Amino acid sequence: MVGFTRRGFLGTAATLSAPALIRPAWAADTVKLGCLFSSSGTMANIEGRLNYVVRMAADGLNAKGGVNGRRIEVVTSDPASDWPLYAQIGRQMLQQEKVAALFGCWTSVSRKSVLPVVEQNDGLLFYPLHFEGDENSKNVVYVNSPPASSVLPAVDYLMGAEGVGAKRFFMVGSDYVWPRTINKQLKAYWTSKGVPETAWREEYVPLGFSNFQTLVNQIRSFAAQPGGQPIVVLTVVGSSIPDFLREFANQGIRATDVPILGLDMVEADLEGLDTAPLVGHLNCWAYLQAAKAEANTTFLSEWAAYVKAKGVPFSADTVIDPMVSAYDSVQLWALAAAKAGSFDVPEVRKAFPGLRFADPSGYTLTMGGENNYVARGVFIGSVNEKQGFDILWQSPDAPKPVPFSPYG
Amino acid sequence: MAEGPGRFGLVALLLWAASLVASPALAAGAPLDRGAFTTALCGDGAVQGTAVEGILHASAEAESGDVAWAGTVLRALLERRLTCLGGSALLLDRAGAADGRDAATGAVRPVAGGRAPVLGLRQRALAETASGAASLLTGSGVAARRAGLATLERRITSVPEALLLRAASAETDPGLKVSLAALAQSAALSSADPARRLGAIRAVSESPSGAAFSRLSALKADPAYGSDPAFRGTLDAALARVARAVSIGDGLAVLYNGLSFASILFMAAAGLAIIFGLMGVINLAQGEFIMIGAYATYGVQEAFRRLAPPAWLDAYLLAAIPVAFLAAAGVGIAIEALILRHLYRRPLMSLLATWAVSLLLINGVRVAVGSQNLQFAMPPYVSGGVPLYADFVVTWNRLFAIAFAAVTLVLTLVILKRTPLGLDIRAVTQNRDMAACLGIRTRRVDRLAFGFGSGLAGLAGVALCPIYSVNPGMGATFIVDSFMVVVLGGVGTVVGTLVAALGIGGANVLIEPLYGAVAAKVIVLAGIILFLQRRPEGLFAVRRRR
Repeated sequence: MVGFTRRGFLGTAATLSAPALIRPAWAADTVKLGCLFSSSGTMANIEGRLNYVVRMAADGLNAKGGVNGRRIEVVTSDPASDWPLYAQIGRQMLQQEKVAALFGCWTSVSRKSVLPVVEQNDGLLFYPLHFEGDENSKNVVYVNSPPASSVLPAVDYLMGAEGVGAKRFFMVGSDYVWPRTINKQLKAYWTSKGVPETAWREEYVPLGFSNFQTLVNQIRSFAAQPGGQPIVVLTVVGSSIPDFLREFANQGIRATDVPILGLDMVEADLEGLDTAPLVGHLNCWAYLQAAKAEANTTFLSEWAAYVKAKGVPFSADTVIDPMVSAYDSVQLWALAAAKAGSFDVPEVRKAFPGLRFADPSGYTLTMGGENNYVARGVFIGSVNEKQGFDILWQSPDAPKPVPFSPYG
Repeated sequence: MAEGPGRFGLVALLLWAASLVASPALAAGAPLDRGAFTTALCGDGAVQGTAVEGILHASAEAESGDVAWAGTVLRALLERRLTCLGGSALLLDRAGAADGRDAATGAVRPVAGGRAPVLGLRQRALAETASGAASLLTGSGVAARRAGLATLERRITSVPEALLLRAASAETDPGLKVSLAALAQSAALSSADPARRLGAIRAVSESPSGAAFSRLSALKADPAYGSDPAFRGTLDAALARVARAVSIGDGLAVLYNGLSFASILFMAAAGLAIIFGLMGVINLAQGEFIMIGAYATYGVQEAFRRLAPPAWLDAYLLAAIPVAFLAAAGVGIAIEALILRHLYRRPLMSLLATWAVSLLLINGVRVAVGSQNLQFAMPPYVSGGVPLYADFVVTWNRLFAIAFAAVTLVLTLVILKRTPLGLDIRAVTQNRDMAACLGIRTRRVDRLAFGFGSGLAGLAGVALCPIYSVNPGMGATFIVDSFMVVVLGGVGTVVGTLVAALGIGGANVLIEPLYGAVAAKVIVLAGIILFLQRRPEGLFAVRRRR
């Protein structure tokens, strides 16, 4: 939506009433953690789940006696998919609620807007999404992977003989920092591999865009041109993902004709879609629900039980990477705080190097000393008929994260 | 790569060797080594690919019993009903079954501990083609063979010509025989025989598409293009013909896209035009009435699932039409009676009140139903599409929306122009005070009109279910576009709303391919602002006195 939109209006008014949005939690023997995940707006369906995961993780830690002898209280909020509101609420949480750490943001634009706030207040933000990299703040823990250990392996797979030998690329993204940076890096990567500039096209749509007819027409005529196997690199976010997939399937394009690599596509985006005509499209994450690990079985049953017990308004059988990463975030924070014996951010930060946590993906997460990135495994998933992803490929181990891309 | 990256090495090598042994044996027309084939399907990506490619080429000569068997196994593999256990493969009747039949021997065994291989994209494409070839050659019904042919048509470049010839000679259905012959002819583009090549070029140009254009263009690099005038002439004529057809198809697609986007805009804005035009209420909850309509549709679907025989389920979308209308109209009338009635002639207050209502409805639904996208079982008449001409595909869900919008338009016009209620509504719109003086109960007209406008939004909800995701926040997407349409069209006219929707929809679709979707929105909005500078009353203004 453009110009004076209702969302803008909502945002302004919500800013005025923001204190009421934060539910405070008062107790002396507790430590507070803050959540910055939207439960309204275009990101609601996927971000909303993360509030509950953080609560679930905190409940689990509390059941074991809390951290450093204190119970964890989780403070949630609703930044309404309105990027400046993330910063506003983040500041309130740090200054008024005195939270020990923030867990939040899905889109990079929201992270970028919270970044100055956590840096000014020397707070700690755990960011659970894979993203474009090229950032390294001492106040942010990047729990998920930069492109070098998520997007590039997947693109390599598709370009290789094992994948489809992709030669041409149609990039469709929402118009903001993450898709633009990812695409910039991809173009530089392809250039370094000798792919000519004529072999790709780049299109952007506004956030929340849903009318994909014309774009899918363009993709079909792009695919018909000679020059080798085309693929779509999809970086639209939120409700645009299912709308794009539906139009793609309805126009009769199958994954075996033109595969989609959906970089933000998760199991939750397939809810409500008939996935039979979408079988074979790909995504890449550091966790897939189909991961074979004991910790995953435990996590899945824990989530199902939590949904049932608390009446959480989300599916009990769907678990997505950012949920697991948010869970990992709380665990990493708890491990660091316990190791430091303190909740002070500088102390907790000093405890990061050497942290290890075996998470539901089956890989062991590790933090090195040189940056705030976490080493994660890589999965490539393939859409199946049952609105989920089968694991097509996974990395032998968790590659060391490379924060700054040499490409672009 | 298949599941389990650790499985490379010796095992893979052995399987690879097994498949190499299997393929030449097939090509010679000897009986298929079923054991080796299934073992290869359980191997890694490269082994799978070689085996499936081998069976595709062998299908042209292999015994039909073997081809049919391979088709069954490949279909199971595609649907993940094939489980690898030890050295053999088991076929399951459905994914997740406890027992399966051994693919080679037919013995029934439990599948516990087995592994269902995941197909990579390249292998999936090959397996689809090979299983399509098997259905074409051995399918028992005409429909099955036709489906097989359609699969082969999609990947015609990878289909051996001999296979098509075999199918054509064995085919009994005359219609299918003709399609097969045409396809076989078009597969001969790289044939050594010049006459057959020319035939192939003509056959390819018979079914024009962007892909056909690329295939033909590639022939320009052929030496014959320079030396053989007949070849050159035929190819140039075919290319011109395909290019013309493709541009006509693209033109049709633009028309269709514009029309379908316009119909969505019109559906979303029609109710607003009446409410805004009649009462001057800026109803920010209009999008939520659309959402209520969509949720009512979901309710009807669930009711059908529980109460009606399964065969009727496909009819739920039609049955939902009156329910969605009444549900949204009911909520609208309740809101009018409880809140808006007290706020007439105070536009700012009513704007804030409807905004509050919209937040209330969104969050109410979120608490009651949850914020995930609702699960709809889309009936066949609103899923998929049919290629109509060249690259122009008519998608059923959009066609449904267009038809729906057309019917809504006609009914709305009839109600407004031909019924006593419509007369009252028009009278009140034009001059509220005079209408009241003449004995029209304006308050009652307001309420009914508000209900009617809300009901129209509810209908939009039904039409949008097959196109967009249904969740509590869906209405917010439409509200800005709706106001744009209503303001441009002229407040209070349905025809104006229609023309504005067509204009905005068409402009968006025309600008999008040139400058992108983001710029399209900006350009359209800027255009509307400029237009309203010249004509603040919009395209069609209702003459009224205040």
